[in-house]
Amino acid sequence: MFWRRKREHDLDRELRDHLNLEAQEQPDAYAARRALGNTALIKEDVRETWGWMWLDRLWQDARYAVRALRKSPAFALTATLSLALGIGANTAIFTVVNAVLLKPLPFFQPQRLVQLWENKPAQGYFRNVVNGVNFLEWREHTHSFEDMAAVSVFPANLTGLGDPIALDGIAVSPQYFAVLGASPALGRSFTAEDGRPGHGDVAILSFGLWQARFGGDRAVLGRKITLNGSPAIIVGVMPRGFALPQSTPDIWMPLFIDRSPNWQLGRSLTVVARLKPDVTRKQAESDLQSAAAQLSRERPDYDAGWSAEVAPMLQDATRNVRLPLLVLFAAAGIVLLIACANVANLLLMRSSGRSREIAVRAALGAGRRRLLQQLLAESLVLALAACAAGCAAAYWGVKAVLAIIPAQNRIPRMEAIHIDSSVLLFALALSFVTAIIFGLIPALHVSQVHPHQVLRQGAIRASKNSLRQGLVVAEIALSLILLAGAGLMLRSFHRLISVDPGFETQRILTLRMFASPAKYLQPRGRATYFARVLDEIRMVPGVREAGSVLWLPLQEDDSGSCFDLAEKGPPTPSVSPDANILVVSPGYFQAMGTPLRGGRHFDARDTFDSTSVIMVNQEFVRRFLPDRDAVGQKLNVCWGREFRNPGEIVGVVADARQDDLQTPPRATIFIDNLQSPMFFAQIAIRASGDPLQIAHSVQAAIHRVDPDQAITHVKTMEQVFSDSVAQPRLQLALLGIFGALAGLLAAIGIYGVAAYSAAQRTREIGIRMALGARPGDVRRLVLREGLVLGAAGVVAGLAGALGLTRVLKSLLFETTPTDAPTLALAVIAVLGVTLLATLIPARRASRIDPMATLRGD
Amino acid sequence: MSTMPEKTGREKVELKIELLQGTLDMLILRTLLFGPAHGHRIAKHIQRTTQDVLQVEHGSLYPALHRLERKGWLSSKWEVREQKRELKYYRLTAAGRKQLAKEESKWKKLAGAIARVMWPGEASEA
Repeated sequence: MFWRRKREHDLDRELRDHLNLEAQEQPDAYAARRALGNTALIKEDVRETWGWMWLDRLWQDARYAVRALRKSPAFALTATLSLALGIGANTAIFTVVNAVLLKPLPFFQPQRLVQLWENKPAQGYFRNVVNGVNFLEWREHTHSFEDMAAVSVFPANLTGLGDPIALDGIAVSPQYFAVLGASPALGRSFTAEDGRPGHGDVAILSFGLWQARFGGDRAVLGRKITLNGSPAIIVGVMPRGFALPQSTPDIWMPLFIDRSPNWQLGRSLTVVARLKPDVTRKQAESDLQSAAAQLSRERPDYDAGWSAEVAPMLQDATRNVRLPLLVLFAAAGIVLLIACANVANLLLMRSSGRSREIAVRAALGAGRRRLLQQLLAESLVLALAACAAGCAAAYWGVKAVLAIIPAQNRIPRMEAIHIDSSVLLFALALSFVTAIIFGLIPALHVSQVHPHQVLRQGAIRASKNSLRQGLVVAEIALSLILLAGAGLMLRSFHRLISVDPGFETQRILTLRMFASPAKYLQPRGRATYFARVLDEIRMVPGVREAGSVLWLPLQEDDSGSCFDLAEKGPPTPSVSPDANILVVSPGYFQAMGTPLRGGRHFDARDTFDSTSVIMVNQEFVRRFLPDRDAVGQKLNVCWGREFRNPGEIVGVVADARQDDLQTPPRATIFIDNLQSPMFFAQIAIRASGDPLQIAHSVQAAIHRVDPDQAITHVKTMEQVFSDSVAQPRLQLALLGIFGALAGLLAAIGIYGVAAYSAAQRTREIGIRMALGARPGDVRRLVLREGLVLGAAGVVAGLAGALGLTRVLKSLLFETTPTDAPTLALAVIAVLGVTLLATLIPARRASRIDPMATLRGD
Repeated sequence: MSTMPEKTGREKVELKIELLQGTLDMLILRTLLFGPAHGHRIAKHIQRTTQDVLQVEHGSLYPALHRLERKGWLSSKWEVREQKRELKYYRLTAAGRKQLAKEESKWKKLAGAIARVMWPGEASEA
C-alpha cells in the first residue's frame, strides 16, 4: 500500500499549500478554509479519480468494520454464530444435494443414459425388472437407442485366496461398458463371445478388489480365479471410482441371454441404455412402448398387459432421496432466513445506538451511498466470518451424518459426497446474499438519518419498532413451520417403529450365504446341503431354532409370481393372479416368532421327493380363499418345480411386513426350500441369549459342512430393523435439529426485541410505577407485548405450515400433514419459547427504580 | 396548538454561474498554455482573467486536476519556482495540447451556433 500512502501525503500537502497561499490573500485563515470548502470531501473526490478506488475503499471499510465489531464482541459473536448455523446447515445439505442430485454421472455424455423398465399399469407394477427375451426383442426392434445392456445381480464366492470371500458381483451383457462409455483401465471389456456356453468364464475386477486382493499387480490379466467353484480368467480391471449410482460392484461377469426357455419366463434384469444423440426421452419411450405393445401381441401368455418406461438414469437412481433431500434443503433455508431476520434485528438495534456516530459521519460530508457501503461492509465481514465457521461446521456435520448411514441403506452416489470447490463457492455466494438480505434493511433505515435531527436530539426516535417486530413475527412464523414439520416426522416415525412387523426382532441372528452353482448345481444336492447346514447350526450351543428364507424381511427385497388354484388348470403368467413368493425352510417361522394360524409348519415329513407343500399368509387367505378352508387347497405356482407339480397348502401363518415397515403385508405364498432350493439363502437363528455371542460358532458350524462357503451380512435382526428405518430416522434427526435451531434463533430474536423495547420504555415504566403500578403489572405489560408478537407469528406460521407441510405427505407414515395434535404441540412450543424469551426482560423491567429513572432525565 | 414546520434539508446556496461540464477542463488546459502553474495559481488566474465572473470552486478544481493528469493531458512535479518552497506544479503534455485544440474548436462551434440564434442580425466574428 506504499503508493497509496505517498499519494495521500502528496494530496495533503497540495491542499495545505493551497490554504497557505489563499490565507495570504484573505483576511484570516478561517476565511481561506471557507473558500476552499470541505477538504475531506475534496480528498474523497480526488481519490475517486485515482481508480481502484472501490477496492481500496472496500478494504478500508472492511478494516473499519472489523474494528467496530471488535468493540462489541457480544453482538459480533451472536450475529456470527446465528449466521454460521444457518450457512453451515445449508452448506452441509448442499454438499449432499450437489453430490447426489446435481453432479452429472461420471460417464460419457451422462444425460443420454437411461434405465428401461417394464410396467403393468393395470396391476400397479411400475419400474419392474425386465424379461430376458423382451430385452432381446427391444434391442432388435427399437431405433431410438444407440445400444442397451442388461444387468443382473450375481453374488460371487471367490475362493482359493485364503478364506472364501463373498463379492458383490454383477453379470452384464457384453454391450454394458460401451453403453456407459467406459473402458477398463487394464485389459479388455467383454466381447459377444464371452459368457456363451462352451466359452471359458471371464471376469473383470474393480479397482478396489484389484488393489485389495491382487496387490495392484499388472500381471493379474490372464490369471485364473475360482468364482462360485468354477474357474474364470481375469481379462480386465476397471478404473478407480467406476461405479453405478446405486452400487459399487467388486467384480463383473458376462451375462449371456438367449431365447431359450430359461429366459422366456420371469423378470429379473435391469436394463441400461444410451439414447441416440438428439433423441428425447419421450420419443424413446414411445418407441420402446410400441415395441412392448408388439410383444404383448406376440407373446400374450407372458406379456399381455405389460408395457415399458424410460427413465433418465440419474433421476431414476436418486428417486427415493430426491424429495427428502429437497425437504431438508428447504428446512435449512428456513433456518438461514430466521438467522438473517435475527441478525437484521440485532443490526437495527445496534444502529440506533450508533445513530450519533452515523450522523456525525453524514454531517462531515459522507454521502448516503458511502454510508450504505460502510454498513454493508460490516454485514459482509459478519457473513464471511460466519461462512468460514459454517463451512467448518458443515465439514464435521456431513462427516457425522455419513457415518450414521448404514452400509445396506446407503444413499445413492454416497462415495461422491464431500466438500469441494462448488460447495465452497455455494457457501460464499450464500454469504454474500445473506449479507445483502440482513444488511440492507438496517442500512437503508439508518442511512435515511437526518444528521441535524439526530445531533440535536441525541438518538433516532423509536419510530421503526414496527420493522423490528415484523422481523420477529416472521422468525416465529418460520420456526413454527419447521417445528411443525419436525413434529410430523416424529409422529410418523413413532408410528412406523410401533408397527407390528409380524415377527420378533429380539435375540435373532441373521446372515447370508450363496451356494456355489458349480458345487450344488443339482437341486437335490442343494436341498441336502442347506438341510445339513441348518442341522449343524441347530446343534450349536445357545441356538434355539434356525431356518432359511429368501428374502429376509425389511431389506426391500421380495419376489413374486403368478399362481392359480389347481382346479383352474395351469396358470398363464399374464392372466393369473400374482402373489409374493418366499422360499423358506422348516424352522424359519419358529426362529422369527411368526405365529402359525392354521394347519402345520413345514417339517421333516416334507422331503425333496414328497408331494409339494405350500404355506400361505392370512392376507393370501383373505384375498383368494375367503370362503373356504385354505388348508388342503392345491395351487399351481409359476415357480421352479411347482410350475408343473401342484402344491398343497399345509399351513397358514400370520401376516408379516416384507419390503419395509411402511408397506402393508401382501398376499404371500411360501415354498419349502428343501423341495425347491435356491442358491441364495438368508439364515435366521433364534438364540437363547445375546445373538452376537453365537455368531462365531454359527459360522464355524457352516464351515464344518463346507469350508469354502462365504458368509456375509452377519447382523442381528434388531440391526436389520434399525437399518431399515435409518432413512426416516435420519430425516427426523436432521429436521429435529433444524427445528431446534430455528426455535433457539427465534428465542434470541424475541429476547432481543423485548429487552430493547423494555429499555426504550424505561421512562414510561418509571412513570407508571411512580403512579402506583406494581411490579406484576409491569411484568404483564412486557409479557403481553411479547405474547402479541408470538400470537401474530403463530397465526402466520400456522397458515404457512398448512401450506408447506403438504410436501411432506409422501414422507409421512400414517400421519396426515394437518395432524392437529402435532400442530397444537408446535404452537405450544413456540408460545412457550416466546414466553421464556420475554420473561427475563419482563423481570428486569419490573425492577426499575422509578425515582432513579425520573431523576435521570 | 399549531406547530412551526421544521426546516429540513440543506441550506440554500447562493446562485453562481455554474461552469458547463468539461468547460473547467478546457480552462485549466488553456491556463497551463502560459507555462507550469500550481493549483492555487490556476484558480486565481481563471478568476482574475474573467474579472471574477467565473468562480472556480476549489472543491472541483483539485479533482479535475487529478482527473486530467490521469488521462495523460497534464503532468505534475514538486518544484521550487517563484515561491520559496516546493509546490506541486502542473504542466501541459503534448496530448494535453492536442486535447485543448479539440476542445477549443468544439467550443467555438458551440459559441458561434448559440450566437447565431441569439443575435441573428450581427455578423459573426468567426
